[in-house]
Amino acid sequence: MRAPAPPGTSVSDIAVDARGLCKTFCQRQRSEKLSQVFANLFRPQVRLVAALRQIDLQVRRGEIVAYAGPNGAGKSTTVKILSGILAPDAGQVRVLGLDPIADRVEYVGRIGVVFGQRTELWWDHPVAASFEWKRVVWEIPRPRYEHMLGQVRELLGLDEFFHSLTRELSLGQRMRADLGLALLHEPEVLFLDEPTIGVDVLAKRHILEFILELNRTRRVTVMLTSHDMDELEQLAGRIVLIDRGQLAFDGDFDQLRRRFADRRRLRLQTRSSEAPQLQGAQLLGSEGGWHEYRFDAGRTEIVALLEEARSHSPILDVETHRAPIDEVIADIYQQWRQ
Amino acid sequence: MGAEWFARLLRLWGVYSRMEFMWMTRDLRFFCHCFFCDAIVNLAAVSGTFLLAERFAGLGMWSKPQVVFLLGYGMLVGGLINTLFGCNVLYVSRRLGRGQLDHTLIQPQPLWLSLLTEGFMPISGSAILLPAAGLLWWAGAELGLDPGAGWWALFAMEILASATIATAFSYLWGSLAFWAPRAAEEISSSALRIVYQLTPFPLDGSGPLLIGGLLSVLPIGFVAWYPCRFLLGLSPSPCDGALTPLAALFFALAAGLTFAKGKKHYARTGSSRYLSFGHRS
Repeated sequence: MRAPAPPGTSVSDIAVDARGLCKTFCQRQRSEKLSQVFANLFRPQVRLVAALRQIDLQVRRGEIVAYAGPNGAGKSTTVKILSGILAPDAGQVRVLGLDPIADRVEYVGRIGVVFGQRTELWWDHPVAASFEWKRVVWEIPRPRYEHMLGQVRELLGLDEFFHSLTRELSLGQRMRADLGLALLHEPEVLFLDEPTIGVDVLAKRHILEFILELNRTRRVTVMLTSHDMDELEQLAGRIVLIDRGQLAFDGDFDQLRRRFADRRRLRLQTRSSEAPQLQGAQLLGSEGGWHEYRFDAGRTEIVALLEEARSHSPILDVETHRAPIDEVIADIYQQWRQ
Repeated sequence: MGAEWFARLLRLWGVYSRMEFMWMTRDLRFFCHCFFCDAIVNLAAVSGTFLLAERFAGLGMWSKPQVVFLLGYGMLVGGLINTLFGCNVLYVSRRLGRGQLDHTLIQPQPLWLSLLTEGFMPISGSAILLPAAGLLWWAGAELGLDPGAGWWALFAMEILASATIATAFSYLWGSLAFWAPRAAEEISSSALRIVYQLTPFPLDGSGPLLIGGLLSVLPIGFVAWYPCRFLLGLSPSPCDGALTPLAALFFALAAGLTFAKGKKHYARTGSSRYLSFGHRS
């Protein structure tokens, strides 16, 4: 399902170019002690939170980039800066050769933004009314609008609720409608901030397939954030990890796995119901003669593990697979916290 | 270039008025409730002054029909700004305080154009405009007004200036929500409540300090009383007619500068608070 890696890069091929991005927010710190009321009033304590620290990020045209990190890592701040809603304290941003803030009017006409936590649809109107509203405000020529409308209605399955009020839609329906709305003007770059948050498996599949189709047929550049790593791996050829405002990793998913240990799973069925203890592998559980282990393929060879297991009890069956990306990422986040 | 912008303005007003029409007419009972409740509430808001004028056959130097003219004028100003700036565009602190400016910033048009068009609600606005026109018509007939084209032009200019002052006052205070989103979320509505409460009263007879205050710090005098004095020939100088438009220019400029400063602050800090309620209802 994953999008193919785009071909070689030239300077004009860069869609998103962010250099040295810094953003710091002030957070009020407040004591609840009565004795510190005056201190709170006259000398309030302010904590500086560095949301972004020297972020350099380039995204090629037609690329799908997953932008991930733990809560508070700076993902949404980056998306807001790239959408022209927030200005960086330092650094430069050019998207499609434009400055998101100085060239805002032209710029937002060429990008699409979806924030999973909020909607661009008109709450008390049918979905159809929001789409018509978008046609007028974005000045989309009628034939182009009709063409895109037909496409998004079909691919995102909007017909069943196209004339329902937004407030009466389920979360999955709303997200699909929001995504369709964001694409009506055929944006060249799409920023998706947690587009599938709270959405069920089927609606999620619809959305992911649509993003891939869009990228394949129209070469739309997509940058998306999510906490669902499986989803990101299905979509993106490249993952950028951010931690406490700093870039921690930029590469593909295989590189990520190798860099942070090549985690594998080994499932063995042995004649004996007792699980053999294996050097270099951690036993996760045993049931019905099946024993599951976790090991780092970079350090321990699978052949050695099998030899050792066979010395304890005859092996009846073997399965091996890579650890889910969610597990890899969770371990990475854990490492960062430590 | 100007014609292009004007055409765009009309297109945008067209789409918003269509949306409002569709929203209002989704159910006959709802439509009647909305329309007549608005009309009754607005008439009730000026009934106190009307009853006082009725009881005392006028208020101070103002005869009863002149008081009714003042009430009609004030309602017309209120109706005009409600027609143009519905959907919390007028109560801008709500949008800022709820982190909803982002919706406007991702539209490919200047912010002023979005704010000038997004709240256009001619159907619900007319629930105030029609009774206001009725009061003005009745007062004009009682006063034997026979206005020519010049008077109508002055009337339109004064109405526009008064509406600008009330809107600018809301934006001037409302911009505080850029710096204190939660604390100042309702400041625009509080500011306008003061305006609407004091608008229906003739201010003659108040001390110079109070009148000075009501024509500067709290420019409520300009929303109905001062321009009505001029239009009804109650002001001593014919130059008084220029003061309301000049004040409108000043307040619009002050509000524009404050809002622009707030917007710069918003670009630096953004909003960490987003509330969906009240947005695009």
